[in-house]
Amino acid sequence: MSQQDPSTINGGSAVAMVGKDCVAIASDLRLGQQSMGVSNDFEKIFHYGHVFLGLTGLGTDVLTVSENFRMKTNLYKMAEQREIEPESFANLVSTSLYEKRFGPWFVGPIVAGLNSISSKPFVCGFDYIGCIDYAKDFIVAGTASEQLFGMCESLYEPNLEPDDLFETISQALLNAVDRDALSGWGAVVYVITKDKVVKRYLKTRQD
Amino acid sequence: MQAQNTLLNTEYSTDAQTEPIEHRFNPYQDNGGTILGIAGEDFAVLAGDTRQTVGYSIDSRYEPKVHDVGDNLLLSANGFSADGVQLVKVFQNQLKWYHFDNNKEMAVSSAARLIQHMLYRKRMFPYYVATILAGLDEEGKGAIYSFDPVGSYEREQCRAGGAAASLIMPFLDNQVNFKNQMDPESNGTKRRPLKYLSLEEVIQLVRDAFTSATERHIEVGDGLQILIVTKDGVRSEYFPLKKD
Amino acid sequence: MSINAIAKKYSYKTLAERELEDANEEYEHFVPNLSTMSPSLTLPPISQPTEFLRAHTDDSVNPECKIKIAHGTTTLAFRFQGGIVVAVDSRATAGSWVASQTVKKVIEINPMLLGTMAGGAADCQYWETWLGTQCRLHELRNKERISVAAASKILCNLMYEYKGMGLSMGTMVCGCTPKEGPTIYYVDSDGTRLKGDMFSVGSGQTFAYGVMDSNYRWDLTVDEALYLGKRAILAATHRDAYSGGSINLFHVTEKGWVYHGNYDVGPLFWEIKEKEGSFNNVKV
Repeated sequence: MSQQDPSTINGGSAVAMVGKDCVAIASDLRLGQQSMGVSNDFEKIFHYGHVFLGLTGLGTDVLTVSENFRMKTNLYKMAEQREIEPESFANLVSTSLYEKRFGPWFVGPIVAGLNSISSKPFVCGFDYIGCIDYAKDFIVAGTASEQLFGMCESLYEPNLEPDDLFETISQALLNAVDRDALSGWGAVVYVITKDKVVKRYLKTRQD
Repeated sequence: MQAQNTLLNTEYSTDAQTEPIEHRFNPYQDNGGTILGIAGEDFAVLAGDTRQTVGYSIDSRYEPKVHDVGDNLLLSANGFSADGVQLVKVFQNQLKWYHFDNNKEMAVSSAARLIQHMLYRKRMFPYYVATILAGLDEEGKGAIYSFDPVGSYEREQCRAGGAAASLIMPFLDNQVNFKNQMDPESNGTKRRPLKYLSLEEVIQLVRDAFTSATERHIEVGDGLQILIVTKDGVRSEYFPLKKD
Repeated sequence: MSINAIAKKYSYKTLAERELEDANEEYEHFVPNLSTMSPSLTLPPISQPTEFLRAHTDDSVNPECKIKIAHGTTTLAFRFQGGIVVAVDSRATAGSWVASQTVKKVIEINPMLLGTMAGGAADCQYWETWLGTQCRLHELRNKERISVAAASKILCNLMYEYKGMGLSMGTMVCGCTPKEGPTIYYVDSDGTRLKGDMFSVGSGQTFAYGVMDSNYRWDLTVDEALYLGKRAILAATHRDAYSGGSINLFHVTEKGWVYHGNYDVGPLFWEIKEKEGSFNNVKV
């Protein structure tokens, strides 16, 4: 049996959380070929202006889809003379994925950001053909999604300050990926507030 | 011959001839549910939700699956409930004979080895269950033993088994064994030191774990049964969980 | 008339002596063969029991199978001037789920013999503890410790008996006897049995061999050998997703085995990376 599932060949996980006037988004850094770890600097978080996109799933599709969105958001910016907002970007992701309904990208996207007008935090997730899952608390994706659901559901509380949100999302990600053979090998966390974005790398187990 | 042809000459006759009927022996069913055991310094708890499911249907909202099997031992076998019930029954029977033969209580380490043999005996036709045994060891310290379906076992501080094990286990790593937690004073150079949790803390963790699992797993919910074993015997607690 | 015969005439047997005699009589008729040595296993009531087992437990045949049996490991053992070093990781996985990070993959068969665990956790645990009882019976019957060759052959014969039934196990039986010296036998569930100087078994074996082959010498000191074992497993836990957790280290000499501790890969990796200046693929 050489049948393989595209969404678990390379492995990887991502998570986003809402705090008080802030959002956080994080991913692991592993890219593997089945059991073998190949890269430990494969970041799965991308940003287009002030909107952040996490992409888990098939490595090649993660890169292609992220570049596609770079193109699309650049065209959007030229047409609209402003950066795209998280809500609009979510719809862009949804329609773009559904265009490939019968030959899909094997990705598990999540979106996080603050609306630049209202400063309202926004997170959402998608299935690989574009169904949007709006959430007011957190969104998970990737091979450790079950573990992330368990961690987030038990650690999360609403209205966390940026520092506490960082600690919460980090602990959720770290402990989740440690129970998944295909995720881990380092992690990156973004904490996004109105006037700044803080990016931190986490020191993690390397097994 | 003629009669057979007329019988087969219906609009389904081609299907009947081309589609072979599949016969396969499938004696297994997944009844969902989750169990969780945590060991403390002088106590151990074994908890399980009380929902029993088949597919999307709920067969029962109260079917307790954690058993006080005597000799200060708690046993639960989660997965295919018929196999689980059978395993517990066989164990209780074996325990009775152990009393007749040896005239003493069975130690938790002996019970664990016995369960290994009971499970491995069916290596070629396994019990479809994740098993957890809780009790107090010879020194009076809490002990949790966990088993895979065919009997490999290990003593642990805590273990979740069943449908939502993947949701609960990382939480336990973090909150019981303090995984990925650092001493705030050490600037990330020293781990947070391990310590035994009190019974109150453990019960709160168990309740949090199950409310979280109930929220995100359809096979978990309805009620939470917690059995606590101390040197004074076994005590039971029940908390309702969401029924949706 | 010998003095013993005279003494016998005027003495009587104690209860213990009579019991011992009865027991000896019983064992005189005891010819060791596998059907009496191993316990019976229940089979499913169908014509093809092995097909059934495969359909329900082998995730390479049926990825949706309900009974997941733990797989994935790195274990190694090598012979050198000072005896044998045995090193293993401690992760158990079921698919990509990390079921445990604290598995004991070295099974202490008796104070002289060690067995390692790769493949089905239950198969290894059960049959290697069973091997322990067989070794003890050998001692009682023959008033002599069992050789590593004989011990490994008991296990190998048992595996051959169950060949094709779906058991999964790859083990190294390590020990040291006056006749044989330090000896390693590789035994697996196909019925293979090989004597050798260096083995690594499991999903991470290639990574461990890579480190061992480039740093191994016969005249390694004990400390160097232990470090090499630890270092090879560390490399495997790093690259192989299905290996990890912590490292268990053992040293086998003619006096028996000695445990050399448990090392959590989490902190150990950074410690060795800093000390050696190795693992430069990892930042920080």
